[in-house]
Amino acid sequence: MTRRMVIPGEFITDKKYNLGEGVYREKDGIYSALMGLVDEKENYIRILPLRGKYMPKVGDFVIGNVREIFFNSWELDINSAHNGILNADDYYKEIDTFNEDLLDILAPGSSVFVKIREITHSKKVYVTMRERGARVITGGRLLKIIPTKVPRVIGKQRSMISMIIKETRCNILVGQNGIIWIDGKPEFVNIASRAIRVIEKEAHNPGLTNRIRNMIIKEREEL
Amino acid sequence: MKIGEPEKFIIDGKRLDGRKPGELRKVKIEVGVLKKADGSAYVEWGGNKVLAACYGPREVHPKHLARADRAILRCTYSMAPFSVTDRKRPGPDRRSIEISKVTRQALEPVVFTNLFPRTAIDVFIEILQAQAGTRCTGIVAASMALADAGIPMRNLVPACAAGKVGGEIVLDLSDVEDNFGEADLPVAIVPQKDEVTLIQMDGNFEKGEFEKAFKLAVEGCMKIYEIQKEALKKRYGGA
Repeated sequence: MTRRMVIPGEFITDKKYNLGEGVYREKDGIYSALMGLVDEKENYIRILPLRGKYMPKVGDFVIGNVREIFFNSWELDINSAHNGILNADDYYKEIDTFNEDLLDILAPGSSVFVKIREITHSKKVYVTMRERGARVITGGRLLKIIPTKVPRVIGKQRSMISMIIKETRCNILVGQNGIIWIDGKPEFVNIASRAIRVIEKEAHNPGLTNRIRNMIIKEREEL
Repeated sequence: MKIGEPEKFIIDGKRLDGRKPGELRKVKIEVGVLKKADGSAYVEWGGNKVLAACYGPREVHPKHLARADRAILRCTYSMAPFSVTDRKRPGPDRRSIEISKVTRQALEPVVFTNLFPRTAIDVFIEILQAQAGTRCTGIVAASMALADAGIPMRNLVPACAAGKVGGEIVLDLSDVEDNFGEADLPVAIVPQKDEVTLIQMDGNFEKGEFEKAFKLAVEGCMKIYEIQKEALKKRYGGA
């Protein structure tokens, strides 16, 4: 299915819809506020943006990088306009902050896979590791892609990402903020990261999963 | 090389560079030219060559500038030392600070700043080569860079100047016309709402001429708007 591409200020429709992301209403109808593809559902309309920064959302899993350490919290760079805050209470095991130094647990530069727990009114983003799947990341390689392409890398019902994991035998974690962690045999990590780059570049084309699978199989045979 | 004042600006209904009074210079727009910026655009407008880059929404530094209810938009217009005939001393000066300010005010009404509280959106406009009308070229490039960065905005902002040379109202002044002409009127509009977001005037118009020049400038803006739309769609293979 090809979707219509629109640019900021372009008229979309005069039908009545609930407004999703990237659209706004004027007297005579609904207009686009973003460069992207129109996604029309039964009762609401939104734009799938082609580019844009990651904006934190409660419930998202992201990969954060420790930037700063305080007495009982870490500050994480989550590739967004706002920093993530990981309280010592939100670490996956109990920490006695009076006797233990947080520096010894997570040093600046270490990466974590965390879930966004709360975003306060003043845009403080609290993340937590007390969640299934959250973990400290060691080894492997980090990849940065445009955050708006993350849904394509994951695919419908994780179809794309589970295919890549299966075909390359790598461990892959995808943060909604566009940071991807890949761990495995170096040759396979290379293949997986190349595959993800291709997906990022051609996210708007249909039928990508099969093409990527063929590409991975071909590159694997050439090893 | 400085060109002296010409004796006549319009000969046989044609201007010094061969254009008709209501004709634009050649405009070329390219989007997404910089890899490291969140959004970017390159505009060639006659002899003007302008590069614009947009970053954000991102953290505000210094922190006290942040607003709790919206993003702040920061524009920086700067001319490269080699952009003009005599070397331009690098760094901000009175003129570029003014143009930064009017550019910001031209773009602010279209950007949905309320969606990104406590953040900053930075736009940098770099004039690589100047030949009359750089502020309009800068605004055109900046609005394209914003759109390319995926920042929600009401509309693109086209800009164009009209002026008076040799007693006649003309569109899009060239450098000679700008230096020795009688008046210059740069205008930026929001096409969809018929709003004016930038209007400045240098020189004098006679009664009634202003309106004529303004109408001509808006017509020029609409032509630029078409080129902007086309350039943005072209980036992803049209549709």
